[in-house]
This record gives sequence, C-alpha cells and structure tokens, in this order.
Amino acid sequence: MAQPLFRAVATSTRPLYQLLRCVNFTNKIHVLITEEGIRFSADLSRVMQGTASLDKKLFASYHLNLGESDDESSQPDLPSFQINLPALLETLQIFGAVDVATRAQKAEQDPYRSNLRNYRPDAFSNQALGIGGTCCLQLAEEGAPLSIIIEESGVKTVANLTTYVPEIPEDIPFDRDELAYKIIMQSRYLLDGLAELSPNGPKRLTITTSRGPPYLTLAGNGDLGTTVVDFAKGRELLETLSVQERWVQTYKFDLIKSSTEAMRIASKISLRGDRQGVLSLQFMVEVEGGGVSFLDFRFVPFISHEDDEDGQEGGEGEGEEGGEGDEPDRGDEEL
Amino acid sequence: MAVLNLTLSEDAVVALRDALICLNKFSDDVSLEAQKDKLILTALNSSKSAYACFSFSATRFCSRYHFEGSSQNHEKFYCTLYIRALISIFRSRVGGDPQRDREKETLIDRCEVAIEDGPGVQSRFIAKLVFRNGIASTHRLPFEVVVPVHAKFNREEAVNHWTIPSRTLRQLMDHFGPGVELLDVNSDGEHVKFTCFTEKTVNGDEVLKKPLRTSIAIEVDEFEDLKIEDSLHIVINVRDFRAIIQHAGISGTNVMARYSGPARPLQLTYPGDAVSCEFLLMTVGERTANPPHKTKRGKSVNSTKGPRQQQLEAASRRQSAAPSEQLQGAPQPQASGHAQSRLGGAQPPPPQHPMLSAGSNVGRMSAFDLRPSQRPAPPPTMRSEGLFVDDYQWEPVHEDDEETEENARLEWDQSVQTAEPTSRMDRTMSDADETNEANADATQASSVGLEPTQRLSEVERMGLFFRE
Repeated sequence: MAQPLFRAVATSTRPLYQLLRCVNFTNKIHVLITEEGIRFSADLSRVMQGTASLDKKLFASYHLNLGESDDESSQPDLPSFQINLPALLETLQIFGAVDVATRAQKAEQDPYRSNLRNYRPDAFSNQALGIGGTCCLQLAEEGAPLSIIIEESGVKTVANLTTYVPEIPEDIPFDRDELAYKIIMQSRYLLDGLAELSPNGPKRLTITTSRGPPYLTLAGNGDLGTTVVDFAKGRELLETLSVQERWVQTYKFDLIKSSTEAMRIASKISLRGDRQGVLSLQFMVEVEGGGVSFLDFRFVPFISHEDDEDGQEGGEGEGEEGGEGDEPDRGDEEL
Repeated sequence: MAVLNLTLSEDAVVALRDALICLNKFSDDVSLEAQKDKLILTALNSSKSAYACFSFSATRFCSRYHFEGSSQNHEKFYCTLYIRALISIFRSRVGGDPQRDREKETLIDRCEVAIEDGPGVQSRFIAKLVFRNGIASTHRLPFEVVVPVHAKFNREEAVNHWTIPSRTLRQLMDHFGPGVELLDVNSDGEHVKFTCFTEKTVNGDEVLKKPLRTSIAIEVDEFEDLKIEDSLHIVINVRDFRAIIQHAGISGTNVMARYSGPARPLQLTYPGDAVSCEFLLMTVGERTANPPHKTKRGKSVNSTKGPRQQQLEAASRRQSAAPSEQLQGAPQPQASGHAQSRLGGAQPPPPQHPMLSAGSNVGRMSAFDLRPSQRPAPPPTMRSEGLFVDDYQWEPVHEDDEETEENARLEWDQSVQTAEPTSRMDRTMSDADETNEANADATQASSVGLEPTQRLSEVERMGLFFRE
C-alpha cells in the first residue's frame, strides 16, 4: 500500500495544540477528516458540544485519498473515528522538545551567553517560530491507528494513537432560522464578564438579552452573593447586536467556563441563541499564517419552570413558550 | 432606600483592597462602620488578641460620599461583611494574559458602592464596578448587622514609643525565618533588638530541636523618634506584625509604636493617604532582664487561647500600676489606698537590673504576674476591664467616670511614682557618648530616691541642641 488514506504535514504543532486544547473537556473526541480540514468534536453528555475545525491551511501539505470509492457514490465515506484527546495533546507537545534540549546544550557551551534570564522562553526558538521540524499526521487506512510522526533535529518520533469506532454523536439541534438574538463581540469581553462572576462560584449562569439597554447581561448567584455583569455601553462593546425579543436562559456555569480557553485565544465571538434556548458560541481564532479557524460550542439550557422568576416576566413572546415545550427531553439528558 | 452611597476612584479601590487584604490576615469578617464624615473598617481576630482599624476620611477618600443613615440610627451604620467576598470584588483585574493589552481595557473606571437596609428592603452591600471598556459588574453581598467591637487604648499610659520608617521594618522582617511566631522587642540602651523565635518544639530537652532564634539589633539612629524603657521585653505575634508591616510598606510612611508594658496592648499607627491605620496587639513579655526561661513563661500564656484573655486582663490590672507617668509629674489623686494595700501585700524581690532599681513594683510584677495560670481568675462580677469593649465604650476612658473600685485597680501606685526610673532610653540622651554616664547618674539618683528635677521634655530640647 503506497498511499495512506490521509496524510497531512505541519511545520508547527502550536496552532493545532492551541485549538485542540480548547475542546479538551472530554476524554474521547470524535474526528472527521474532510477535504477541507479536520473536524474534532467533543461531546459532554449531549449537553455541551465543542467542535474545533482545523483548516487545511494550517498544514503545509494535506492529502486525503478516498480512492476508488469516488466513482461508486457521489458521497464517499469520509474517515471518521474517535481518539483519546489528552493523548493526542501530549503527543503534539513532543514537538519542540528536542529543540529545547539542543539549545540547553548549546547554552552550556556558549561562553558568551549570559546566565541572566535563561529561564525565559526565547522568541527565536524553533518552537516559537514553528520551524526546524515537521509534524506529520497519517492514517494508513480506515481503522488503523493515527500515526503522528515528528521529525526535528535528526530525531524522529513516531506515536501511534489507537482509533476507536466512531459513536456519531448527534449534534445538539440549533435552529439557525429561529434565532432569538445574535451578538458579535470581542471574545475577551465575554471572558472578562465571566471572570467577574467566577470568584463567586455560581452554579448557574443566566444570560439575558434585550433590545434596549443593557442588551446583554450575565448573572450568577453564588454562595457569597449575586453578581450581574452588564454590557450597558453596548454600542461600543458589541459589534453586532440583533435581538428579536427579550430572552432569558440559564446554563450550567461550569460548562460555559470550560470554553474560556477558547475565549482566551479567539479574537471574536458570535453569541447566538435560538428560540429553544440553545446557546451557540462561535469563536474565530486567527492563526498566524494559517488564516482563520473556528471553534464552535453549543450548550443546552436548564429547563425554565413556569414559577421561576424568569417565567413571571410577562409578554415574553410565543417563541419562548414554544421552546419550553421542546426542552424537557434535552433537560432529561442533562440529568 | 440606600443607607450609604459612595463612589470610589480607581486608586481608592486599590487602597481599599490593600486594607481588606491586611484585615483578612486578622479575621474573616470585617466590620464596616459608616458615619457622616468617615468610613471605618475594623477587624478583631478570633482570640481577641489583635485588632485592626482603618479609618477612611470620607471626603478625601471617596469621590462622592453620601451618608443617609437608617431610620433607627441617623448617626452611624454598621454591618459585618465577609472579607474574601469583598477582596474578590475589588481585586486587581490587571495582568493575566500579557499578550492582550489589558492595561487599558480592564482598568476600573469607578466603583459605586451602595448599602441598602431597612424594612421591606433586602439588606445588601451593592458594589457596582464600571470598567473602562464599558462593562459594568454589579455585586450584591448579604451582610449582617452587628455592633462592631472596638479595642480601646490608653495613650496616656503608653509611655514607651518609637517611630521608624516602615521600609526599615520591612527590611528587618526579611531576616526572620518562616517558622517564627513571636517577636520580642527590647533595648539595651544603644540598640533596639528585634528577636524572633518560636516555642513550638519546646517539649523535650534537646537543644538541637529548638528552632532558630534570630535577633537583630537596630541602632538607635535608625529610629525617627524613640523613647523606651531599657530591658523591657515586649513580645508580640510575628504574623500580626508582619501583616501590618506589609501594609505599612505600601504607603511607605513611618510606623509609630506605643506601649506601656507587657500584657498591655501595643499600638501601631501610621497614616496613609486619606486613611489612618491603627492596630492594637496584645503583648506578653517581661520587664526585667530575666534569664531566658522566664521569657518563655510569658509566652506560654500567649499560646493558650480561651482563658488567656482573662489572664491577660487580670495581669494587666496589676501591671497598670507600672510606673509610666513621670512626664505628667503630678501623681494621680485617685490612687487610693485601696490599690496600695492591694498591691503592697506582695513585696518585690530585689531588682536584678541596677538600671531598673527604681521600678520596685516592676520586679514584683515579673516575679508574680509571670505565673498567671496559678492566679485565680478575676471574680465574674467585676466589670470587664479587658482590652476590648463594645462600641459604647469606645470613648477614651476617663478615670473619674469609673467606679472607685475600678480606679483602685487602675491607678498608678503612688509609692512608685517617687522612685521613677530615669533609665528609660531616650534617643537624645543615649546618642551622646556620655550615655553610660547619664544612665549611671540616673540610676544612682533614682536608687537614692531623688525626685526628678527637670521635665524630660526640657531635657529633650537640650539634647537636640547638643546633638548638633
């Protein structure tokens, strides 16, 4: 067998590592390889889903050989499997380790090298620059282990990660046609907002959007008290704001918090909610030299009861009530 | 209806945070007391041996301050809050990811604090932080309405005092190891010694098991102002002291300590920007240059928790007869025979230190009061004369107002007054070469029982002149 099913070569694992770390909230992650890139989807009890799409631009070369199956059907089976994400992340970190060792050795020999600030990461290290080595992701055939071959400074590391049969997680349904609101903002603002809430240790996060000020509020009720973050000066903070109606939903705070790594590296976030209450967070991550990659998170809300304070708000519109009817089945999964 | 509304600038938030961090080293809860013109934060530790008080000047500290008062009390409002919750609200948002230009973004533009209380209103401490980037976060904390406990300090009694830059103290603290618990401050005439030690592994007689004992002698010149009695050992808790110095180091001002004697409170004060900071620490120790094992005795008092306070109080009652008021000259008229007969019963052993020969009751104190555990606890009917009193007793103590019995216990021993030691170290005197001579003279004079002929304040002035 000359041609492996899939082979992609990257000169640096740093962007891959950064993106994959954002969806590192489950042990196993679903991988789907397409012509355009690799999709890593993590699913947590069908309540939270995170998808990292690695664009093929992140790789120096990217080959997917679907072979003859192309002729038989118009929709060839794309390689799909599950993999242990922590193991993959660990492997990707090997890249650059040799470089560090070489430099440490060099530093000892170099009499002119100052011993001051030795501990600092060097801006010109191969790891930071992403040069001096290659990282190759290779899948020989369907069901074969995913091989990660790292070559740098004459050292070749081959790691074979077992692939598992895909479980085909069902996507959390998100109705793009029935959007309650759509907000685009810098992702760090959302991060700052959550950072205000988190010292309080709230269990639930309530997101409220409204047409008028304060447009978007995050609220949490913790042991120490209540915290409300609002984006009142919304016109400067929120780049795009389209709210159909007042919308209140509650999510598990810890789940939202596990997407903070994405907020940290992303430049922009699109915050959307559909009428059923599903929250979609889309992060745009600008990768140097690799264009733009996207991270996609979806969250299922808590069931809002009629006697909740949220439910007492009059004139919520039919959309929300209709949404509540659909929710219980998702809420059960959550429990 | 908001009882209190105030707006803080960013710098004020930082100052408030520093104060809260310092308070948190004493207690988990802070008492907030709002008045028309000031805002007072106090904390008392659980063993009631340390007390911290930050008094913010309302107009200077807050960019806006409006005290409405509650319907019950128009004068002041007080509540108790959990410090950690406050610290997390006022924490620094700068830092974190250096790649992001957070400096401009997440700085606090202003902070609006409102306290709501009253019938039909949820009692909440509401802090609204407005950031420069336009995000506003509102924190609502529950609080408890508790009458704050204030410690009182009799400044007239505290004749020993020194003032030193906080920076110097900070450098000093760097030398103390991590395991130390107690700090002994004493002087030998030329130096002031700060000795750090612990008594943790005293069980067993192995000398090697004893932890390190670090003593640092500071020249008298390092002090801005100094007047303390020689060989007076004042022992305080290092942890408390460290917390105070850490905070004092932020403003970099001079720290002033006042104290009278062992088992009496020690006061540390320093001014900040629009805030005055006061700390009272309970002390143990001994006055005479006793063998080290006696010092330990004093400290073992410190290690006991519950009954200790009582013991310290009891001790303090007797020691309040310590000589301290020679500057005031005139003996207190209230020094009744009651007190003298009470104290006179115990005759002091001959003082061991010649320089302290005058303080006859001092010797007695170290001989008897250093064994407080064997002394019966004070009768429960006695009105508590402890360090800590509640709010209504906050006013300075006027001896005249007290009951006679109280006076009897508190007043200076007249017999001692006459033989007042002049041996207390005075910077102006000890600075010159003839320190020893002067001390010797003083000793001689006092042992003979001569009355002081000059007020010390006058001598001080002359001393300044000589020093040049």
